[in-house]
Amino acid sequence: MPAIKRLFVANRGEIAVRIIRACKELDIETVIGVSEADRDSLGARMADRAICIGPARSSESYLRPDILVTAAKGTGCQAVHPGYGFLSERAVFQRKCVEMGLTFIGPSAEAIDAMGDKLSAIRLAREAGVPVVPGSAELKSETEVREAAAAIGYPCLLKASAGGGGRGMRIVRSDSELAAAFSGARAEAQAAFGDPTVYLEKFVERARHIEIQVIGDLHGNICHLFERDCSVQRRHQKLIEEAPSPVLPAATRARMAEAAVALARNVGYSSAGTVEFVYDAEEDRFYFLEMNTRIQVEHPVTEMITGIDLVQEQLRVAMGETLSFRQQDVGIRGHAIECRINAEDASADFMPSPGRVTTWSVPQHPDLRLDTHTYEGYLVPPYYDSMIGKLIASATDRSKAVELMLRALGDFHVEGIKTTIPLQSAVVGHPTFRNAGVTTRWLETEFLPSWNKTE
Amino acid sequence: MPKNMDEKLQYELTYRDAVDILRAVKESEFCDSLELEFGDMKLSLTRAGAGDDAMRPAIRVAPAAPAEAPHKTSAAAPAPGEPTTPSADDAYAKVMAPMLGTFFVSASPNAPPYVQPGDRVAVGDTVGLIEVMKLFTPVTAGVAGKVVRVLAENGSLVEHGQTLLLIDPT
Repeated sequence: MPAIKRLFVANRGEIAVRIIRACKELDIETVIGVSEADRDSLGARMADRAICIGPARSSESYLRPDILVTAAKGTGCQAVHPGYGFLSERAVFQRKCVEMGLTFIGPSAEAIDAMGDKLSAIRLAREAGVPVVPGSAELKSETEVREAAAAIGYPCLLKASAGGGGRGMRIVRSDSELAAAFSGARAEAQAAFGDPTVYLEKFVERARHIEIQVIGDLHGNICHLFERDCSVQRRHQKLIEEAPSPVLPAATRARMAEAAVALARNVGYSSAGTVEFVYDAEEDRFYFLEMNTRIQVEHPVTEMITGIDLVQEQLRVAMGETLSFRQQDVGIRGHAIECRINAEDASADFMPSPGRVTTWSVPQHPDLRLDTHTYEGYLVPPYYDSMIGKLIASATDRSKAVELMLRALGDFHVEGIKTTIPLQSAVVGHPTFRNAGVTTRWLETEFLPSWNKTE
Repeated sequence: MPKNMDEKLQYELTYRDAVDILRAVKESEFCDSLELEFGDMKLSLTRAGAGDDAMRPAIRVAPAAPAEAPHKTSAAAPAPGEPTTPSADDAYAKVMAPMLGTFFVSASPNAPPYVQPGDRVAVGDTVGLIEVMKLFTPVTAGVAGKVVRVLAENGSLVEHGQTLLLIDPT
C-alpha cells in the first residue's frame, strides 16, 4: 500500500472540514473539490488547494464520479475521502478511484455492493447469524404484499430495496391500508432511487435505533467501538445521537457488538462502518436494520467515549497499517451526546432556512466539541442539506452530559438564519429524553405536537 | 448578542464588502457613480467610460462567478481576474471551461490546434476539448471575434469556470 501524501476531499460541509483536520494531524496534504456555491467555504480555505468541480447543483458536481476522480488524479492526489452522503456508498465511485490508481478511503466495492442492496444485506446478516426483522422477499404485486403481511402480522413496514433515509417507507397497520401504501412506496422508491422494488418487514412499535461502530484493517482485524443510540428522529432522520445507549443492558450490548463484528467479518470489511439495529426495549431483542459502509455523521460521540479518532484510523488502515488498538483496549469512558444543528425552522415544519449567518457565537467548555463549517458571515447555500454543525457534549455520566448540553445550547447564538437550536434545547430538557424513554417515533407523535402548540 | 456588537459590525467595511460593492456597481446597467458614507467610512465610485457599456452584456459569455475563486486555486492556471483591477483584458470575451477536466488545444497530439492567436472565430466554433475519463467535450466560442490569447496550457487540468482563452469581439 502506498503512503498517502495528498488526499482529495470529495465532499463538503462539516465532514470536509473534519477530514482536512484529520489529514493535517497526519501530515497529509489536502485538495478539496468545491462546487461554485462552496468556493468560499471553510473547507476551501483550510485545504492546501481548492478546485472548482462544477456548478452548485450536486448532480453536476459532488455526484459526478468521473469529474471527481479526474480532479483527484490531476491534482496529484493518491487517495480520495468520500465523507458521508453524496458518492460515499456508491461502489461505482470506489471502482473508478481504484481504476485511476487512487486509494478510496472506505471498504471494497464488493462490501459496498453487498451492503448497499438491503435484501442482499439482510441475507448476509442471516448467514452471519445476526437476528433480522421478520420480513419478506421482493414484492411485485398487491397479492404478494397481502400474503406477506398475513405471514408477518401487523403492524408492518413497506421499504424500498434500494432505499435509505426513510424514503419509500410506509407503515401499514391493517389490510385496508395495504393497497395505497404499496403504490405510494413503489412510486417514492422509483422517484428517489430509480428502482421501485419494495419489501415488507415487521414493524417494532416501541423501537429504539441502536447502531454498532465497527472498523477493520486490510489484514483481517475487525473491532467494534460499542454503540450509539440515535432514537431521536424525525422522518427517519437522526437529530440527536448519544453513546453509550442509556437503555442497552450489558449482556445485550455484548451480543449486538458480536453480531456486528460477525457480519463485517463475513463481507471482509475494512475501514469504518456501522451496523444498525432496531432495538425492542420492552422485549430486550434486537434486529439487524442495515449496514452503512462509510463514516457517519454521528461518529464523534463514539470518538468521545472511546478516545479513538475514527477518521485518522480510516486513513491509517487505508495506508495498510494495522488497527492501532485491539478489542480489549477499547472501553467506554463516560457519556457523549450530539445535537445536529440544522438551518431549519422547526416551528414551521422544519422549513429550510438558508442565508447569511450574521451572528455565530458558539458555546465554549473543555468538554464541548463543535464540528462545523459555519462561521460568522457564512452564506448557508440553499442547494445542499441543512446541517450547519454538530454540537457534542461529553461528561462522566449521562445526566451531567445532558446538563452540559443544555447550557451549551443556551449559550449558542445564531442570527441571520433559523436553526434547530431551540428545538434541541426543548428535546434535551424534556423529561422523556432525560429518563431515556424516547422511541424512534416519539419526536413526531408525542413531542412535536405539544411543542408546536407552545411555540 | 449584545447590542453594541451589532452596531460595531455595521460600521465595519471589509475588503470583501468593498469588492461586493464594486461588483454590484460594475454589473449594474444603470449605476455610473456611487457615494457611500457611514460611520467614519466614505466610499466614492465613478465608473470609467460610463455610457459606452452597451457592449458589456454581449461580451459576458459565462457567469462571472470564477472571479470569486479561492486564492489557492489552481497554481498552474492563471488566477481568475480580480474584479477590482480592471485591465485591458476586461474588454475581451472570456471562454470558460464548461467543466473540470483536462484541456486540449487540438483534436489529437499531432493535429494542429483548433485556434491560435489572431484567428477569427464564429459563435459555436470549437476552440478546444475537455477530457473527463476518456470522454471529450468540445469547448465552443460564445462570441464571434479574434482570438487574443490561449491562457490554459495544453494537457493541463482546468477547473470548472476557469478562463481558457480570450476573444476580442470587436
